[in-house]
Amino acid sequence: MEFLTFIDLSFLMLVSFGTLVGIIFGAIPGMTATMAVAVCLPLTYALGLNHGLALLLGLYVGGISGGMVPAVLLNIPGTPSSITTTFDGYPMAQKGEGEKALRVCVIASLVGGLVSALVLFLFAPLLADFSIKFSYVEKFLIILLALSVIASLSSSMLIGIFSGVIGIWLSLIGDYSVSDGGNGHTRLMFDFMEPYLFEGFSLLPVLIGIFGISTILLEAEKGVKRDMAGERIKIGKEGGFSLSIFKGSFTNLTRSSFIGTFVGMLPGVGGSAASVLAYTQEKNLAKDSSQMGKGAPQGLIASESANNALTGGALIPLLSLGIPGDSTTAVLIGAFTLQGIQVGPLFIPENHDTWYVMMTALVLANFIMFGLMFFAIKHIAKVVMVPKHILYPLIVMMCVVGAYAINYGIMFDVWTLLIFGVLGYLIQKIGLEVAPLIIGFILGSQAEVYFVKSLESFGTYSIFFTKSPIAMVLWGLIAASVLFAIVMGFKSRARQKVELSQMHDPSHTDSGAHHDSRND
Amino acid sequence: MASDPLSVSIDFETSHLFFPHIVHWVLAGLFALILVTKVVPFLAAVKRGERTLPIIGESRDSARFFGTLALISAYFYLMAVVGDLFPYTGYGFLFVSMAFVLAMSLMYLHEWTKKALIIVVINAIVAPTLAWFVLAKLFTITLP
Repeated sequence: MEFLTFIDLSFLMLVSFGTLVGIIFGAIPGMTATMAVAVCLPLTYALGLNHGLALLLGLYVGGISGGMVPAVLLNIPGTPSSITTTFDGYPMAQKGEGEKALRVCVIASLVGGLVSALVLFLFAPLLADFSIKFSYVEKFLIILLALSVIASLSSSMLIGIFSGVIGIWLSLIGDYSVSDGGNGHTRLMFDFMEPYLFEGFSLLPVLIGIFGISTILLEAEKGVKRDMAGERIKIGKEGGFSLSIFKGSFTNLTRSSFIGTFVGMLPGVGGSAASVLAYTQEKNLAKDSSQMGKGAPQGLIASESANNALTGGALIPLLSLGIPGDSTTAVLIGAFTLQGIQVGPLFIPENHDTWYVMMTALVLANFIMFGLMFFAIKHIAKVVMVPKHILYPLIVMMCVVGAYAINYGIMFDVWTLLIFGVLGYLIQKIGLEVAPLIIGFILGSQAEVYFVKSLESFGTYSIFFTKSPIAMVLWGLIAASVLFAIVMGFKSRARQKVELSQMHDPSHTDSGAHHDSRND
Repeated sequence: MASDPLSVSIDFETSHLFFPHIVHWVLAGLFALILVTKVVPFLAAVKRGERTLPIIGESRDSARFFGTLALISAYFYLMAVVGDLFPYTGYGFLFVSMAFVLAMSLMYLHEWTKKALIIVVINAIVAPTLAWFVLAKLFTITLP
């Protein structure tokens, strides 16, 4: 119980502050939890690890749940993961039941968050224990598996893999570090770049650039429309909510929470996949799903419990294997590195107190989210009205602080923001995927070390197949994920043909299910 | 082991190029596959007029888009220049941020009403000052 000494008033304040800011970011369409974490990173430079984590986890939980607000009130998903919340939330808001809908969402979010925190608490140490015995060969295969899973769940496997490999390529720029057993030579750059890029691009400026600056470029291109202007927010009448709405939805809540947790665990798979999966499962399995899509609380419950369950799920591979489960946890890796902590199998055994502090912060953040949203939802709903011309310059400003301060004042890190902001913009424009690229970038240099070291010590490629039974199991999983992607590819192609033959159907936009598999 | 077709030995001097080399081949292979399966059909669709080219063929608010790029570049550049005039104070960040926030807000603002302009100006002064005060003074974080 030693970790309790870390939990003081400032800890509570930071979790609350983080959650509140996260909710605000989540609630503003176009801003996401990832951006919230990226933009607020500079605040953690001055905080210790535990307090920094308190803030970041609050931001994470708040950011994911905040997306429900515009989803219900404006029919715009505030974050990609709240896409299915719009299906039932907006019809309810139109009937004047906005507040009721939001409260249903809040409770579902709380349950989802807590279930996933529990799974994280039980499962991450086990996975870490298991993976602690991994040698370089298995570690390389784990990364390969992570990348193939991401790719297989992208809208197109080929594009997903390609994006991931580009990420790996970008991570190799710089020297083959001597501290990793390399020879210290630089590669993939011209000589004049060496003073800037000897150690490659810094992780955080890259992430902040891709998630912060490129979002602004994409919006600027569209002319920074005032999509909310003139639209009155109708939150609806007071009351109408009672816990009896949740009667009979125990199965739905549990199922959706576990779906969310599981999808969260898969690396690089965004929140929209979780909520879409949970929503369709509820639709298929519920006794009466006739009202879904017209304003049924059960749809909200499925969507919101699943997307909040992502939080705990995504932290599992991060804390046990060092592989981020989504783009927000990818930024969290940066925060850990900043504090000099290496996430991986050794993290939990070596940082027991931090592990408990994280769990406390995560659970607390969920309750604070509940408290803030359940009772102050009316006021929070107003932030969706904050005009973008005020907001965007401030975001650029905070991005600059984050990038500049990360290595104690290097101007090149600020330029990295712009380089990757433009790159992120181009990537999204030509249809490549951001999430696999980022995961590739984060894992690329480790993959190199594991790969080359394995070959140096064993002298044959066959070692990757014959090293251990675990290696073979991992290959089996890799094959399974590729197979899954191919089967799904055929299925969606068949479905597209059917849709084409029926011509355009102007009903629901389920496009989120197809190409919104990122969580940026 | 010598007869093993999969055997490999890595020369330490060139070991920094070993993995990038493989990555290049993988990238080239994937790119070729994408070219054949995605890009060629896509270009054919463009030719038939069913799809438009990304970026080039799309409508865009050019003034705001390129304005954003130019403003951000100027912001980054001037921050360092002004920052060098007042080393270790963070003034470069403070003053240039004010100008930047003001310029970008004005660029994104669609209707220049009096009320909107007042809010924009106040925001441009208060927000950078607040950020500078909290980060540079309270948290002693290095700023340009």
